Amino acid sequence: MIAMLAKLLKALNSDSAPGQVALAFALALVPGLTPLFCLHNVLILLIACIVRINFGAFILATLFFSGLAYLIDPAAISIGELLLTDASYQDFWTGLYQSDFWRATGFNNTLILGSFIVAIIAFIPVLLLSRWLISAYRHKFMIWVDKLKITKLLKASKFYKVYQALAE
Amino acid sequence: MKQWIRWSGLISFLVISTLLLLVWLFAAGPLIKYSIETFASQAAKAKVEVESVDLTFDPFGIEIQGVQVANADKPMENLLQFERAVADIELLPLFLGKGIINEVALTGMAFATPRETSGALVKDNDEKSGGDSEASKTADDAAKATPISKQLPSADELLAREPLLTQQRGEAFKSSFATIKADTDNVIAALPDNKAFAAYEDELNRITSGRYESVEDFQQRKKEFDALKKRIKKDQRAIANAQKVLSEGKKDLQGQWSDLQAAPGQDLDNLKSKYQLDGAGITNLSRLLFGDKVGQWSEQGLYWYEKIRPFLVSEDESEEPETANNVRSEGRFVHFKSDRPLPDFLIRHMQLALTLPALKGKAMGDVAVQVYDITHQQAVINKPIRIIAKGQNLKQMQALDFTGVLDYRKSPGVDKFELNVKGMVFNDYDVGAMGLKLKRSQLDIVANATRIAGDINATSKAQFSQASFSSKDNTQVAKEMAKALQKVDRFDINALAKGALTAPKVTISSDLDSQLNAAFNQRLKDKQKELEQQLQQKLNSKLLSYAGGYQQQLEAMDLTSGSLSAKQDKVKKLAKTELSSFEDQKKADADAAADKKRKQLEKEAKEKLKKLF
Repeated sequence: MIAMLAKLLKALNSDSAPGQVALAFALALVPGLTPLFCLHNVLILLIACIVRINFGAFILATLFFSGLAYLIDPAAISIGELLLTDASYQDFWTGLYQSDFWRATGFNNTLILGSFIVAIIAFIPVLLLSRWLISAYRHKFMIWVDKLKITKLLKASKFYKVYQALAE
Repeated sequence: MKQWIRWSGLISFLVISTLLLLVWLFAAGPLIKYSIETFASQAAKAKVEVESVDLTFDPFGIEIQGVQVANADKPMENLLQFERAVADIELLPLFLGKGIINEVALTGMAFATPRETSGALVKDNDEKSGGDSEASKTADDAAKATPISKQLPSADELLAREPLLTQQRGEAFKSSFATIKADTDNVIAALPDNKAFAAYEDELNRITSGRYESVEDFQQRKKEFDALKKRIKKDQRAIANAQKVLSEGKKDLQGQWSDLQAAPGQDLDNLKSKYQLDGAGITNLSRLLFGDKVGQWSEQGLYWYEKIRPFLVSEDESEEPETANNVRSEGRFVHFKSDRPLPDFLIRHMQLALTLPALKGKAMGDVAVQVYDITHQQAVINKPIRIIAKGQNLKQMQALDFTGVLDYRKSPGVDKFELNVKGMVFNDYDVGAMGLKLKRSQLDIVANATRIAGDINATSKAQFSQASFSSKDNTQVAKEMAKALQKVDRFDINALAKGALTAPKVTISSDLDSQLNAAFNQRLKDKQKELEQQLQQKLNSKLLSYAGGYQQQLEAMDLTSGSLSAKQDKVKKLAKTELSSFEDQKKADADAAADKKRKQLEKEAKEKLKKLF
């Protein structure tokens, strides 16, 4: 976990494109907010492997959003319930229900559908927000932090050497 | 774009996925084997053993080899076993945790096969070690007792089998008689005899007669008189006590004797009602002749029904609605109309072949069984379980068809079964009474049964045709029965079972009764009368054996009682004797002297008067 945190910090501080780290955060929304053992998460995992994103950031963000899901679940269930029982969507859902593949995705579960919708809606805002935050961190926050005396003291300490060794 | 694609990541994903798949493939077989053994053992309440489980891929499914389901009631016997089962499983529903099996084919199926090791579950061993043997012993006893009670037993068998009032009261009477006799003998032995009475009289005469010589003489006599009277009073009390003991003993014995005399009659009534020696019992021939067989078939049918049912339906779970209330953080599955609704577990079609048990050593053929829609959530698929069995390669019958529907879509669940047997050769059936044997017959059976909430309502009609009876028994009844049965070519037996599944009320009727009734009803009545007479005689003999010397003892007691009354009178008379006092004697002497003096004076006065005139 410490190594992973170190890698995340390194990614934030390194020359990695902010978009790659931001995409890792955004992708992590789906496995984080929806129940982990679902068919769609296999697809997300495949994308996370193929697309050049920061994998450490993806895993850490997944863990973070899984924790956050405990707070969001009731709202997600309500959204799923609303969508699945809405009369105007019944034909659509009934059509999907006839397919074994779609039923295997668990789309007719209120939590799976609701949390998936929340994750999709939040995808773009989280992508953009995290990208902006990473850029801001690198250009403003990191320079300001480097100038702090405490940072200079920390960089001279053994802890920083350990952090550097782990990060490498 | 190139910098956004990481091909090494794709390779890593594929490698890891392949490794996971391989691990799952290797682990799936043992995991499924473990699951089957664990959950099926719980359902069967006995060991369920699986030799191996392998996955198949075209189509996707599993192949199970060597399954043995032990019999919970007989641990050294398998309830059933099969060599191979191939199941075609739908892959995608597995991702939802649903086991949907399209087709299951069982081969090499056999019932009631012996086991090498005990099939009892380990945790049940201790609990059942005592109870099982006891229960099986009781069941064996009951099984042995049932057919006997349906045969015509002899008078000796009946008397030996039943607890008789004559015997109970006879033993009690015998014991009371011995006790009372001993008590009577004891009290009589303690009474004074004639010699003692003569001695009392002599003693009294000696004490009360003659003059007192002095005050000391009187006092001595008084002392002896008081002692004698004390003894007489003691004897008087002993005689009264003896009279009381005799009276009570006699009363007790007379009461018990009356009860004992009534006992044979009561025993005969009990035996007659229990063994249906009345008119109703005689005419119920069909039960007498075929009751055992019908009972045996019913028991076997119910036994297998109870054994197989837990594997087919689960009432508890089926009663749960599919759409459960919202569960926090898990959500709920919303179901839509579908041609293919998916319960948690479903076997769409199961087919198996059974070999019918041989009858009198002759093979009967096979039965092809098809079972459709096996699930514990019938409400989801809106279909009941259907069973269709059809005879194949039948040897001793023309046709066998069985259908069953186990419908648990609504509560309470309903099970319905229908059985049709045509042209079954039914030979050499030992009727079990009077040496009768159904040598040859052809049997058609139409039966149906419905079970709702633990109650069964079943009817069956068995038509026997081309019937031919014989009897090896040489008794007149058997000969006449066989003779009468020779005229019967076809007859029906109707059985009706109604009530709780565990103990239904079974009624058997037949037109055989009316056909035969006229032929030998009279003979059976004679037989009944003869049996009753035998019983009466034997019960009376038993009564007499208990009576023993009762009459003589009673007479002796009467005599003794009379003698005691005489003795009591005599003793009373002796006890009334009183001793005159010394003062009285002195007063009498003075009176006598005064009297003598008065008479002397009178005489002298008379002589003086004579001289004057």
